[in-house]
Amino acid sequence: MTSSTLALGRARALRLPVPREAVLLALLIGEVAVLAQLSPYFLTADNLLGASQFFVETGLIALGMTLVVITGGIDLSVAGALALASVTLGFSYQAGLPLPLAIVAALVVGTAGGVLNGVLTTRWTVHPLAITIATGALFRGIAEAVSNQNAVSEFSSWFTFFGQSHLGPVPYQLFAFVVAAVIVSLVLARGRFGRYVYAIGINEEAARCSGVPVWRTKTLVYGVTGLLVGIAAVIYTSRVSTARSDAGLGLELGVIAAVVLGGASITGGAGTVLGTVLGVVIIALLQQGLLLVPGLDSNWILVVTGAVMLIGVFFNEFFRRRE
Amino acid sequence: MSVMVQDAAPQVDFGRPLTRALLRPELPALAFIAVMVTVFAATAHGFFTTANLQQILAQVAIIGIIALGVNQVVLAGEIDVSVGSALAICAWAAGSVAVDHGGLLLPLVTAVGLGAAIGLVNGFLVVKARIPSIIVTLAMLTALRGGELVFNSIGIAGVPSSSRALGNGSVLGVDAAVVVLLVAVVVVGLLMRHTAWGREVPAVGGNRRAARQAGLPIDAIRWATFLLTGLCVGLAAIVYVGQVAAVQSNAATGLELEVLAAVVIGGTSITGGRGSVAAALVGAVLIGTMLNGMNLLGIVERWQNVFTGGVILLAVASDVVRRRMLRRFVVS
Repeated sequence: MTSSTLALGRARALRLPVPREAVLLALLIGEVAVLAQLSPYFLTADNLLGASQFFVETGLIALGMTLVVITGGIDLSVAGALALASVTLGFSYQAGLPLPLAIVAALVVGTAGGVLNGVLTTRWTVHPLAITIATGALFRGIAEAVSNQNAVSEFSSWFTFFGQSHLGPVPYQLFAFVVAAVIVSLVLARGRFGRYVYAIGINEEAARCSGVPVWRTKTLVYGVTGLLVGIAAVIYTSRVSTARSDAGLGLELGVIAAVVLGGASITGGAGTVLGTVLGVVIIALLQQGLLLVPGLDSNWILVVTGAVMLIGVFFNEFFRRRE
Repeated sequence: MSVMVQDAAPQVDFGRPLTRALLRPELPALAFIAVMVTVFAATAHGFFTTANLQQILAQVAIIGIIALGVNQVVLAGEIDVSVGSALAICAWAAGSVAVDHGGLLLPLVTAVGLGAAIGLVNGFLVVKARIPSIIVTLAMLTALRGGELVFNSIGIAGVPSSSRALGNGSVLGVDAAVVVLLVAVVVVGLLMRHTAWGREVPAVGGNRRAARQAGLPIDAIRWATFLLTGLCVGLAAIVYVGQVAAVQSNAATGLELEVLAAVVIGGTSITGGRGSVAAALVGAVLIGTMLNGMNLLGIVERWQNVFTGGVILLAVASDVVRRRMLRRFVVS
C-alpha cells in the first residue's frame, strides 16, 4: 500500500467505509437472526413471504415518497389520498360501475390527488408541508362525506386477486412491489428525470438556472406518488375486503419512517430506492417480530417504530456530515 | 430577473395604510373571520350571542394554547407535529394524579412538568443530535401514542371537580378555559415583544446562517421554542382534563394537524421567519368559528374535514395573493 492511499485513508477515517445500503442489509440480517432466536416459526419461507403481504402498501407509497423527499419535499396527504381512492373504488362499484372501471377510477383519483399537490406547491411556491396537510384533510374529508360512515365490503370474488391471492407461497402484490421498485429505481438512477430529481433536491435555484424544468419535474414526482397511492389503495381494499373512509389512518408515519431509515435526506438531494426498500422490510419485520414476543403489549410497536426512526436518521445524518 | 428587482432596495413608504395592512400576515385570516361572522350572524340562529361567541373561544382554547408554542417553533424554522400524542400523555398523567389526589396544583405541575420534559427531549434531539425536527416530532408522535395506548389502555374517568377548575370553572362569568387562553396569549405576546428572544426567534427562522454569524445562540433559541411548546401542551392538558373529565387512550388524535392548520391559517410561514403571535389565536378562532357556525346551521359533522382542508388551502392561497400584491403594489 502506497503512502498516498494511506493518507487518503486517514483523511477519510471517519467516513462510512461501506455503502449505506450495506449497513442496512447487515442490520436486516442481524434483525432476522435475533427474531429467529425468539421464534422457531419466524425464519420460514411461508412466514417471511406472508409478512410481505402487509408491507406492500406502505412500500409502494414509500417508493413515491422517496422521490418526493429527494426533491426536498414531503407528502403528508398519502393516508387521506389512500382513503379517498379506496372509497372511490368501493362506492363507485356499489353505485353500479363495473369493477375494472372502479379500479381505474381509484387509480385516477389517486393520481389526480398527487398532481393537485404538485401543482399547488409549485404554482403557489408554498412549502409542500402546508399544502399536503390541507389536501390530506381534504381527501379524507371527501372520503368521509361520500361514504357517510358506511363501508362497502361486497366485491366480485375475483377482486381478492390483488390482495389475498398467492402464487405458491408468494402473495401476488409482492410482484407488484418488486416491479414498481425496479421501475422507480431505473428511472431514478439511469434517466434524465432521475438527475433532475436529485438536482432539484440539492439546489432548486441552481437547477432552475441550469434549465431543469423544476415545476414539471416536481408535479410529476407528486403525480407518481399519487398513482402509487392509488395502486396501494386497490391492494389494500382487496386485502381487507373493505372500502371505508378511515383506511390507512396514520399510514404516512410508517412510510416516512421507512424512507428516512433508508437513507433519504429529509432536506433533499440524497436517497435511493434500494435503501427505501430495505427500510420498509426492516420496519415491517420488526413490527412482525414484536408480535412474537410473548406477553408484550402490541402497542409497543409504535414506541419501537418511533425509536428506530430516530436512531436510523441520527446515524444517517451523522455519517452524512462526516462525508 | 425578479431577484435583481428585489435587490434594488425599493423605496417603500411603510406608513401607507395599504402597505401596513398587507404587511400583516394575519390579514387574510382576519378578513375570513369577518366574512364568516357576518354570514353566520345573518343565517345561523343563535350565532351572534355573547354566550355563543364565548363558547367558540372555549372550544378552541386547547388548540389555541398549543398553537402559541408551535407558532414559535415554526417561526424559528422548525416544526412540531408531536403535540397530539404529547397532550394525550400529559392528560393521562394529570388525570391519574387528579383521580388519586384531587386538587388543582399537583395535576397542573405534573402535566406542565411532563410537557416541559417532552419539549426538552424534542429540542435536544433537534439541536444536539441534529436530527431534522419533522423526523424527531413524527417519531415522538408515534412513540408517545404507543406509550399512551400501553399505559392508559383502560382510560381514565371520574376526574374530581376540584381538579377541573381550569376547564369547566369560570372567572367573573368568563369561562376559565378562555381566561387561560387569553392569559397565555398575553404572556407569549409580552415575551415576543419585550425580550431579546422574541426578536431572535424569527431571525433564526428567517436565515439561520445569518443569525449564527450575527452571534445569536441559535441552538438555545430553538431549544427554547420546543420547551415553550411543551409548557403550552402541559397547560392545555389541564384544560383538556377539566373540559372532558376523562382521558381515553385515543385522546387528541390528529390534534397536531388542527394546531398546524391554525398556525398556517393565521399567516405564519411554514418555512419560518415570518409571522406573529396573533397568528396562533387568529387561526384557532377561525377554525372554531367555522366549525361552530356549521354546527348551528346543521351542516353535518361528516363535512368537517372537507371544510378544514378547504379553509387551510384558502388561507394559504390568500397569503400567496397577499404576498404578490405586496410585491406588485408596494415594493416594485
